[in-house]
Formats: sequence, C-alpha cells, structure tokens
Amino acid sequence: MAELEKIEASDRVYSLNLGPQHPSTHGVLRIVLDLDGEYIIKADPVIGYGHRGHEKMGENRPYKQFLPNTSRMDYLSGMLFNHGFVLAVEKLVGIKVPERAKYIRVIASELNRISSHLLWFGTYLMDLGGFTPFLYAFDDREQILDILDSITGSRLTYSYCRFGGVSRDVDLKFIEMTRAFLKRMEKRWADYDSLVTKNVIFIHRTRDVGVIDRELARQYGVTGPNLRACGVAFDVRRSEPYEVYDRLDFEIPTGTKGDALDRYDVRFKEMQQSCRIIDQALDQLPEGEFLTPKVPQKLGPPKGEVYTAFESARGLTAYYMVSDGSPGPYRCHIRVPSFGNLNALNDVLPGTLVADAISILGSIDVVIPEIDR
Amino acid sequence: MKIHDIEARMRGKFGDLPLKRDETGVTGASWSIAVPIGDLRDAATEFNAAGFFLESITALDFEDTFELVYHFNCFEPGSRAVVRVLCGHDQVPPSICDIFRGAAWLEREVHDFFGITFSGNVDMRALLLPEDADYYPLRKTFGKVGAYHKREVIYG
Repeated sequence: MAELEKIEASDRVYSLNLGPQHPSTHGVLRIVLDLDGEYIIKADPVIGYGHRGHEKMGENRPYKQFLPNTSRMDYLSGMLFNHGFVLAVEKLVGIKVPERAKYIRVIASELNRISSHLLWFGTYLMDLGGFTPFLYAFDDREQILDILDSITGSRLTYSYCRFGGVSRDVDLKFIEMTRAFLKRMEKRWADYDSLVTKNVIFIHRTRDVGVIDRELARQYGVTGPNLRACGVAFDVRRSEPYEVYDRLDFEIPTGTKGDALDRYDVRFKEMQQSCRIIDQALDQLPEGEFLTPKVPQKLGPPKGEVYTAFESARGLTAYYMVSDGSPGPYRCHIRVPSFGNLNALNDVLPGTLVADAISILGSIDVVIPEIDR
Repeated sequence: MKIHDIEARMRGKFGDLPLKRDETGVTGASWSIAVPIGDLRDAATEFNAAGFFLESITALDFEDTFELVYHFNCFEPGSRAVVRVLCGHDQVPPSICDIFRGAAWLEREVHDFFGITFSGNVDMRALLLPEDADYYPLRKTFGKVGAYHKREVIYG
C-alpha cells in the first residue's frame, strides 16, 4: 500500500482510444483520452478518417456536377446541404426561384431536419442504454424517408434541388402523406415525453453533464441546438432568413444551462417547431412553376465571391465560393457546424467520467463525414 | 448592434480605405476589411473583445500570393464581417489560437490543405489528411484544376 502511494500521478495516467470503431462514435471518430482512474484529464479528438476532398472536387468540376456531392457531406441532413448549395449558386449567378419551389424546398428541408433529429434521438438513447425509443424513432423516421422517397427518389442522399427550383413537383399524394405524418407525430410527442423526458435514469445521465456555456460556445464557434441549449436564441433561419422562413411563424427553443439535458430538450422541441413550419408551408403552398425553365445548362457567374449561410440540423453551415467567371468555382469552401461542436470537447471532456463521455459525445450530435468533408 | 461598434473601431484603427461595404448581400457579410499580415492579431483581438465568434478560416491560392479569409459573426442578425490578409507564398502568418480557441483546428485545416504554417500554433499535426501526407491538395499546383490566376484577375 505504501508503495502504491509513492507512484507519481503522471505514472498513473493511461491513454485510452475511444474509437475509431466504437459503436457510440456514430462514424469513424477516434478520441484519445488520458485517464486518471475513471476520470478524463485530457481529450484529443482525432478526425479525418473519412476525408474525401469534397472541396477539391468542387473546384475541378462545374457547379451542377458538384450538386450530388453536397448531400454526401452530412448524410443525415443531405437535403439541407443540397438546399444550401443551390441557394449559394443562385445568389452568385442571380437566378430567380418560383414561389412554389421555395415552399417545396422548405417543406422537404424541415422533413429532413426532423428525420435527422429522430435518428439522433434514437441512437442517443440507445447509447444511454434504452433500446425501446430507438425502435419508435426509427419507425417515425421511416415515414419521412417514404415521403421524401416519393418526391426525390432516394432515401438518404437527396439531390432534389436544382438551380432555379426543384427536380420534381409535389403531388396530392405527397401532401396527404405529409399531413398524415404531422397528425401521427402529434400523439407521438406526448408518448416520447412520458417515455423519455420524464425518465429518471435518463435525467440522471444527462443533467449537469457536459456543460457548454455561452462563452465556451463563442470561443469554439459552437452553433445550432448545442448553442441554443445555453440560452442563445441564434438561428440562421431567423437571423438571416432565406426562402420563406420570414413568412412562417415558429419559435426558437432555447435551454438555460447548456448541459446534455438542455440539448436534448432543444432538439426535441425543434422537431415540434419543424412540424409547425411544415403545416404552415403546406397551407400557404401556392400553385405555379416548380422550376425556372430559363436556367442555362452551363452557368457563367460573374467574377467575385459568395458566402451563403443556412441552418442545417447541426447548426450554422455555409458555402463560400470564389468565382473566376468559369462554369466551376475557383475555390469552394464549406463551413460545417460539427467541426466547432466537436472541437469544444477539448474543453468539455476533461474532468468528467468515461461513462459521461459517451453521453456528452452523443448529446452534441456530430456527424463525422461532415467534419472530414 | 455589435457590428456597428466593431466597424467604428476598425475604421479608427486602420482608416477608411481598406474597409469595403457590401450592399448586395452576395458576400454574406456587411463589410470586409483588408488588414496587413502584421495587424491580424490586433484585428482578431478587437473582434474577440466585441463578443464575436470565429466562423471560419480559409485560404485562397493565387499565382502571386495566398489570401487568408477570416469570417467573424456574433449572435445577432446579419452581423457577419470578413477580415482578409494577403500572405505571400513564403510568409508565415501569426496564429490567433490563443485569442479564439477554435482557431487552432481551423489553422491546422488550412495548414493541411495549403501548407501555410501559423507561428504560435504549437500543434501543426495533420488534422484531416493522413499523418504522413507531404502534399497540399488545395494548392492549385496539385491535381486537376481549371485555372491558376493572379489575384487581380478575380478581385481587380
């Protein structure tokens, strides 16, 4: 016993690789943890396992050919990334979008946001040891995938938006399916609330765990639900409204402490707000064209640059493109939200238990292929 | 509005000339300011003191120079501002990772892609590329590219 006490603290430290093939890292992420017993004293996320060079690909092909790449960065909110890219190019070239197309895009984007949050909801609770919510969440998510499948033809990596509109009009069947989904979810939110939100085990695993406060969020550029959980009502849909978001009535849910429970609450309420947005957009959906017929095959944008921000399921995302007047961008940079959100773990994880690390990692909802690009 | 405060401070520090307003909204920012490489840290310190966060750092590769582009934003509507720094191909810009903690990774990413080293950032390990990568993929001399321009071709 006396000998044990003589061992220096630095000798007691050992390193643990969390990942890259860990079930709760949701993608190929590795975090090198330095541990003192069960406590983390240093965390170093190692990323880049899924780097495919999307920015380089953007630079050596025309804008239109890059369109399918966009939804493969954040594959869980592919529609939102696809949407943001056409917004950027339309702004650069100066293409007008018909009203109907704007509404269709908003409906599709919000459906995708719900499906992304539902997947997070299911997998996060499974990480914490609850298997049942996962099955319910995936059942609901399946409904959205069916709805989006009927208009886009794909289940995950949608390439639905076009410069000047969308590739296919929505029909009555789509509207019926979406309305049925909204009706179904009304009851589901109450079920989830009593099944999960009030579950005492869940509360103990999340309350006061992994606090990201306002200052830490600002230092690391944390955005999206993770930022709103600490009480900052910052949402690109409100601060720089694009498409028809300024005509729709919705709230920006915020938390107070910025712990894992607040992040859960914010996402949970965000799904309900997305339902509200879809409901209003369906009501207002005008007749008319879904695609501008006048967009040329080969785009010739003016020289200069464009920066377009939009709210993906994980936060502020932006496309930054520099044009030299040719049909493809000279430089194509993508600002992704998970980059800053994951980076903040450098400061959040030290001092917490390994078991909490799983809870924290799940609660910030990172998608690794989006960071790696 | 923080964006007006910081604009006044920038004008006071660097004069009116390098600051360009964008009325069209295409660049997504209210204004951009061209700052000499030696004053980059001063500019970043101002933004930090005014309560802004660092949205992104990226670089542009031109035949005659690199250009570093810093996007700052704060939690208020329409408050984005851009700091642009010309950085010669052989120059070493100062790091701002002690001002904005999130800058450390962003600078590592720029180093990965362009081979620009930031003085003061102690951790310049590869972030997205393999550990042993000895190439800089987003330089225009790497792989298949459309064109390699001088800066004036695009920005006049």
